[in-house]
Amino acid sequence: MIISGIGWIAKEKYGCVKRKIRRDYTDIKSLHSKLQNESVFLYPVKNFGRFDITSKMACCAGALALHDAGIKYSEKRKQDIAIIGTNADGCLKSNLNYFEDYVQTGRKLARGNLFIYTLPSSPLAEASIHFGFQGPLLYIGFPQKQIPSLLQYAEGIISRKEASTVVAMKVGKNKAVCFVMKKEEDASSKRI
Amino acid sequence: MKHKETNMHAPEAVVVACDLITPYGLGIDACWNGLLSGKTAINPLNRFDTEAFQTKKAATIAELKTGQSDSLVMQMLKPLLKKASAIIPKDALLILATTTGEIDILEKQVLSGKGNANESAPGCLLSKVQCLSGIKSPGIIISAACTSSSSAIAQASAMIRSKEHDCALIVACDIVSEFVFAGFSSLMALDKDTARPFDKNRRGLSLGEAAGFVLVMSKERALQEKRFIIGEIAGWGLTNDANHMTGPSRDGGGLALAMRKALRSANISENVVGCIAAHGTGTIYNDAMEMKAFKSVFTSKAVPTYSIKGGIGHTMGAAGLVEVIVALQSLRKKLVPPTVNLRVADNEAEGWVSNEQCAFNNPVTISINAGFGGVNSALILKKCDKQQL
Repeated sequence: MIISGIGWIAKEKYGCVKRKIRRDYTDIKSLHSKLQNESVFLYPVKNFGRFDITSKMACCAGALALHDAGIKYSEKRKQDIAIIGTNADGCLKSNLNYFEDYVQTGRKLARGNLFIYTLPSSPLAEASIHFGFQGPLLYIGFPQKQIPSLLQYAEGIISRKEASTVVAMKVGKNKAVCFVMKKEEDASSKRI
Repeated sequence: MKHKETNMHAPEAVVVACDLITPYGLGIDACWNGLLSGKTAINPLNRFDTEAFQTKKAATIAELKTGQSDSLVMQMLKPLLKKASAIIPKDALLILATTTGEIDILEKQVLSGKGNANESAPGCLLSKVQCLSGIKSPGIIISAACTSSSSAIAQASAMIRSKEHDCALIVACDIVSEFVFAGFSSLMALDKDTARPFDKNRRGLSLGEAAGFVLVMSKERALQEKRFIIGEIAGWGLTNDANHMTGPSRDGGGLALAMRKALRSANISENVVGCIAAHGTGTIYNDAMEMKAFKSVFTSKAVPTYSIKGGIGHTMGAAGLVEVIVALQSLRKKLVPPTVNLRVADNEAEGWVSNEQCAFNNPVTISINAGFGGVNSALILKKCDKQQL
C-alpha cells in the first residue's frame, strides 16, 4: 500500500504534502473560497454554507488530499472509493449544538438541519456526496493512536478488496488531516 | 494486525452466540414470538412529552427507566453481557455499533445542568462495554447511521475471512430519546400511528430501541472449541449512494450494488436466495427504493420479503444486528416472519411481502439496511449443517 496524497488543515494554514503546498487562510469561509479559486475543488460544493463545521473541514481536507494524489473526481461519474474517518469524540459538539438549540427554542420543534449532523458519519457522507464516492463509508472510533490505527484500517479495506482506494481522514473543528491510500501497483504517484 | 490476501480457502465467518433485548422483551424467543404474533410493540410513549411532535408513539422497552444511575443503553447491555460474559473469548475483537449511544447523558446535562455531556461520547461507552464483556483489548466503534451494526458485522466477518482476527464480538445499541425523536419529527419522517412497511398507505417510520450482540468466529476455531454454529455470514457488501443526506437514491442503484457485492462475496447466484430481510422502514421513499433494488437484482421471480420494523420500530444503529439475529432464527425455523402492520401491500411489493408467516426452503437470506448519508449494507446469511440456537 502507498499513501498517494495527504491534505492537511491547521489553524490558519493548509497544504498538500506531495505538492509541497503550504498556504494561509483566516477562517473556514476563506479556506473554501481559496480552494475553489485554486481549483482544488473541481466544482462548487452544494450547500456548503449549511454544513456543520466538521463537514466543511472534511470536504476541504478531502479535496486537498485528492488534489495531492492527482485524483479527479465527479459527482456524476461515481467511483468505488471508500471513505473512513475518525476523531476523539464522535459528533459531541454537533449533538450539543442541536440539542441546546432545541431546548432554547422551547422543546417544541427541532431544527432538521442541525439534527442531520448528529451522526459521527455525517461529515463523511457530505464529503462522499460531493466527491461521488460509492464505496464503503465508515466512522471508526479508536480509543488510542488514532492516525496509525486509521491508516492500518484503510490498509485492511484495500487488502480485503473492499475498495481499491481509501480516503481516510481525522477531522476536528479547526484541524484535519486526510490521506489517500491505494494499492501500490494502482498508484501512479511515487511513494511519499 | 497483519493483513493477508484473501483466497479460496479463506476461513468462513460463523455466528456462535447471540442475544438481544427489544420492545418485545428480553431474548430471541420473545422477539421471534412477538413478530409471529403479528402484534406491534409500538405503543404510546411516556418517556418524555410528545405533545409537539408528529406522533406520540414509539417502540420502547418497558423495563428501562430514566433518572437511574445507569444510562438507558447500559440498562439494556448489562443483563445481556453479564449473562454472556462466560462464553465471550477474552481475545475477541470488540466492535461497538451505535448512532447516538448514551445520548441521555447529554440530554440530562442540557436539561438539568447535571452530569457531564462529554461522557456521552462513544469512547466512554466502548470502555464500559469492554469491562462488561471482559475482552482484553479496547476494541473499536463503528458508526454508519442505520447501517452501523450490519456494517460492523460485515467488517468483523471480513477480518475473519482475511485472517486478521478469528473471533469478534459485535455489540449494538440505540435508544428512543427526546433527542432523536424531536429530530425525526422535524424531518417529518414519522408515521402518526405505527409504521407500516411496504404498505400502500404507509406514511413514515416509528422509532424503536434495542440492544444485542453477535459473536462471530472462524469456523475452524468454532469447531475446535466445540461451539454451536448458529449460521454463517457468507458475504457482505457496503456501498454509498453519494446522492443525498437524508433521502435514498430513488433508483435503488446504491443498494442494488451492495446486494450484488454481497452475492459476489458469498460466491452465490441470486437464484439461491430464499428470503429478503428488508430494511423496510415504512417511509414512502425508502420502501419504494428498496423494491426497485430488489427487482433489479432478483429478476426471475418474487423473493419472500419481510420487515420487522412494524413490530419493534426502527432501532437505528442496532437495527442491522437485530435483523441478523431474527434472520438466523428464521433460517433455523424455515419460516419467513410476517410483516407486522401490513394491511394492503403496495403495488410494487405485491407478491413479495405478506402479513402472514410462510415457509421457505432455500436456506439463504439477504439482510438489508440503508441509512442517512446514502449508506447501504447487504449481508448474506446461510444456515450451517451443524447448528443450534
